[in-house]
Amino acid sequence: MINLFEIARLLSQAGVEFVIVGGVAIRSHGGNYITEDLDICPSRTRDNLKRLAGVLAPLRPRPRGLLETLPFVFDWSTLQHGTNFTFATSMGDVDVLGEVKGIGNYDDLVKDSITVDLDGFPTHILSISGLIIAKEAAARPKDEAGLKVLYALRDSENDEE
Amino acid sequence: MGRTREDKLLNPKPGSRIAAAREYGIDLTQIVENLRLTPAERIRRNDQAVNSILKFAEAMRRAKTAAKEIKLR
Repeated sequence: MINLFEIARLLSQAGVEFVIVGGVAIRSHGGNYITEDLDICPSRTRDNLKRLAGVLAPLRPRPRGLLETLPFVFDWSTLQHGTNFTFATSMGDVDVLGEVKGIGNYDDLVKDSITVDLDGFPTHILSISGLIIAKEAAARPKDEAGLKVLYALRDSENDEE
Repeated sequence: MGRTREDKLLNPKPGSRIAAAREYGIDLTQIVENLRLTPAERIRRNDQAVNSILKFAEAMRRAKTAAKEIKLR
């Protein structure tokens, strides 16, 4: 069973510093986007990567597409030695991003995020305007519908439509 | 007094980006429904939707496998 909510909640509960970006962020803002993966951009300090690895390790993360027969060691140093990872876990896919195109790394993202409550745990989610910047910078055809949703969400919040 | 967010989404001004989203095919009524939920509820609804889709996909896979087996008999 996919449980992206629980992954995000566990990360916040463990004190991991991260910002949710991508489809779950759009969904959190009210979009009718359905997504199978949780995209996060964590702070890349050693302590934070250790906390992140501590939450993900029990979910048996493996790089998506990697043959089951190939060895893979997951720990905080794995995260430290790469920038972007696409993991399959027992609760659903988790993409760990070192930076987001158009905005930057965790420190940049957190300034442009809102904080939402996930069952008592404050969690950073990239703002609607931040998501628009990221999607426009990525300029991928697959993001066209998501951008339309984001524009509608943003403009419905504003005084002027 | 300005229009409410729901009103803007349900009755977008012609030529606006909200109207463009509706014309593109975005179901704005779903967005209105989502906005009535908390962010946590919205993420949970996403998970429920994904799990439902995966169940359908699994049912389709089983049905195709069963159909192949019947053909082979």
